[in-house]
Amino acid sequence: MTPPRGRADRSTRKLGELKPGSRAIVRRVSGEPGLLRRLMELGFVPGTPITLVRRAPMGDPIELRLRGTHFSIRTSEADRIDVDPF
Amino acid sequence: MSIPSELAEVESKPAGSARVRDLLPQQSRRKLVAIAGGPNCGKSTLFNKLTGLRQKVANYPGVTVEKKGGLCALRSGRVVELLDLPGTYSLRPGSPDEVVVRDVLLGVQADTPLPDLTLLVLDATCLDRQLYLCMQLMEIGRPVVVALNMMDTARDEGLDIDAGLLSRALGAPVVPISARTGSGIAQLRDAMDREIPPPRPVTRLLPEPLRDGAERVARVLPLAGPLAALSRFHVAMALLLDEGEDDSLIRAVPIPARREVMSVRAELDAGIPEWRSHEPIGHYHAIEELIRKATLRVKPEVSLRERIDRVLTHRVLGPLIFVLLMAVVFQSVFMWATPIMNAIDSGVSALGRFIAPALPVGPIRSLVVDGVIAGVGAVVTFVPQIAILFLFISLMEDSGYLARGAFIMDRLMRGVGLSGRAFIPLLSSFACAIPGIMATRTIDNRRDRLTTILIAPFMSCSARLPVYALLIGAFIPNRSVGFLSLPGLVLFSLYVLGILAAVLVAWALKRTALRGSRPLYVMELPPYRVPSWRSVLITVRDRAGLFVQKAGTVILAVSIVLWFLASYPRNSGQVRPLEKRLEAVEDGAAQAKARGSVAEASAKRTEATQLENEIAGVSLRDSFAGRAGRLIEPAIAPLGFDWKIGIALLSSFAAREVMVSTMATVYNLGDADQTSVSLREKLRHAENPSGGKAYSPLMAVSLMVFFVLACQCMSTVAVVRRETNSWRWPIFMVVMMNALAWIASFAVYQGGKLMGLG
Repeated sequence: MTPPRGRADRSTRKLGELKPGSRAIVRRVSGEPGLLRRLMELGFVPGTPITLVRRAPMGDPIELRLRGTHFSIRTSEADRIDVDPF
Repeated sequence: MSIPSELAEVESKPAGSARVRDLLPQQSRRKLVAIAGGPNCGKSTLFNKLTGLRQKVANYPGVTVEKKGGLCALRSGRVVELLDLPGTYSLRPGSPDEVVVRDVLLGVQADTPLPDLTLLVLDATCLDRQLYLCMQLMEIGRPVVVALNMMDTARDEGLDIDAGLLSRALGAPVVPISARTGSGIAQLRDAMDREIPPPRPVTRLLPEPLRDGAERVARVLPLAGPLAALSRFHVAMALLLDEGEDDSLIRAVPIPARREVMSVRAELDAGIPEWRSHEPIGHYHAIEELIRKATLRVKPEVSLRERIDRVLTHRVLGPLIFVLLMAVVFQSVFMWATPIMNAIDSGVSALGRFIAPALPVGPIRSLVVDGVIAGVGAVVTFVPQIAILFLFISLMEDSGYLARGAFIMDRLMRGVGLSGRAFIPLLSSFACAIPGIMATRTIDNRRDRLTTILIAPFMSCSARLPVYALLIGAFIPNRSVGFLSLPGLVLFSLYVLGILAAVLVAWALKRTALRGSRPLYVMELPPYRVPSWRSVLITVRDRAGLFVQKAGTVILAVSIVLWFLASYPRNSGQVRPLEKRLEAVEDGAAQAKARGSVAEASAKRTEATQLENEIAGVSLRDSFAGRAGRLIEPAIAPLGFDWKIGIALLSSFAAREVMVSTMATVYNLGDADQTSVSLREKLRHAENPSGGKAYSPLMAVSLMVFFVLACQCMSTVAVVRRETNSWRWPIFMVVMMNALAWIASFAVYQGGKLMGLG
């Protein structure tokens, strides 16, 4: 049975690939242990809703909204975070 | 930190026996309350409210982290000691600041006893993430009081929080407050007065191997000593998780325990590779539950910050507004500080002139006027710039704008290997590196901060301008190149050279001395807040005060040493007769004034000034500084300089602009400045011993290049020492910059000669 259209859109993406204004759920965080733990402590825990608010005027970094807090994070670091877009 | 004098003796013993303090009866020492919280929870405003002006800033030993302490009077009359810890997101350290927070709260920070109570400040408007630190804190096993700050803003935003439920769930008193308005502060003071029991331990969901591993470590922890007053399970988890190089926590436990920690870690790494992530996952699970039960949003979220951000971080408007704001700050520092600095200069000169006649002509008068008064003046001169810059920085930081500025500039700074936070300190350094270097406080990454400090002096500061003006005025012909003027072009290239050198050095540092793993450049963009004037002014006062106290002493000391080198030995052969003549002329002037013949008095005054200049010139040329200038002449000759410039280079270590006055003095034009035509003439026509021209346009360019790159500012060295809390970095900076300057000057001069430009 072919999966419904909608489901095919919910492929896991890198956080940095989202468009400004889009929302997603954190699925996986990867990287070397120190940075990984740091990100998780800030709240980037699997299952957390996250919004990519905007990109900085020069394209980088990006502004995220997570658990009520806004963060600035470089795209190269945001790419460690896999998300499922809404 | 100020401590009661009766305990001074105990405190001065080494860290181990400082535990004695914990055993003293409760009444004979003040209760120590540590204030912890995230970087943007309004902790400092609360601290200021609780302590008023009774606070003191020092350094934790051996690190660049600042120790902010103060006294707080409670309603019962009791006085407690408050320690404002650096803001942190987690007890698991990721920076020197966070190591200190953990160490203080676990009682292993040298020079700080285990706090009797921890006051945790949370921002009620973003409780979700703030509770993470709270969860960790509760597990330590020491008493905690939670202050729920910014309740007024939370209410405005339609957020309803059940403090009672939160309190029952956490097992600690929760006091809703607003540090800004002062509401709830009285209740908070009362809470600090009570004896609070530690929160009861909450069993967390952890994977078996991790729980077993932690329990194994807990079993081998000693039953006495530091850490004994804490939850053993928590200490065990901390030991397992905190793996920094040479971590202070692991050094606090005996070797057998350390070995157990290592072996448990190895087993966990082999068994559950992601065991470190379980702490955050577990905590946030609990936090989500708690938030769901304890908070309620009665109004839809008002996004005022969103509307403001849409403008301030707009693709076009954002940078534009930022640049405009920077221009305003820059201009203000110049505009407002300059008249004050001029006033200070005049004041210092007036003071010198006032005191001088009261002292006999000779060494004492010289020491007091040219050494001490001039030295103190040199220190005080910087205060207006520091005060004004920090006024702006404080306002920007407290309001939340600083983070947006860093957000906008990050991409640009990334090219240099730094982050957006380095922009303002570097920009300020174009006015003066002293406040610029102090402003690097806003950079939390240690390596970035050091790099920024070390390259800040390359931003051609305003003190170099008189030197540039003199040399360009004397040697660069006023031709046009296209629609630009040659002098203007030369000036511009000097600034560009500085920036290029900074980029190069930053790149080199990041690959060698300051190499390290790339940190996570995640930065919080806090909500906009109206800054508290009291906090801003306290910050300005602290910064200026610290500068005067710590850097000022070094500057004064070096001033006096330089004065000595430039005035001794006194060649009485040549100087004494001149001094005698000066005395005679001064007497003559006083008599003429008493008689009322103004013209004669004035003529005598002029003659006196000329004599003073001549004495100064002779003294300088024959002094230690003069000899040193001749000594280094072979070393600077390849750069095109002679010993007179050598003297000026050495004495301008006091301050770059002193170069001009020293050159003037050497050429017996003591009170000339960079605009003086006679000085320019003297330089153009100066002859070397063999009769040819001593200086040339090429040499002028070589000298200016030298000036761009060399470290010739004792105040910079003093401030770098203060901000890095060691002599290693200032010395490195001096050596590095001067070596670079020498090489560049050499290249310019010799290269120019080869090309026939000399």
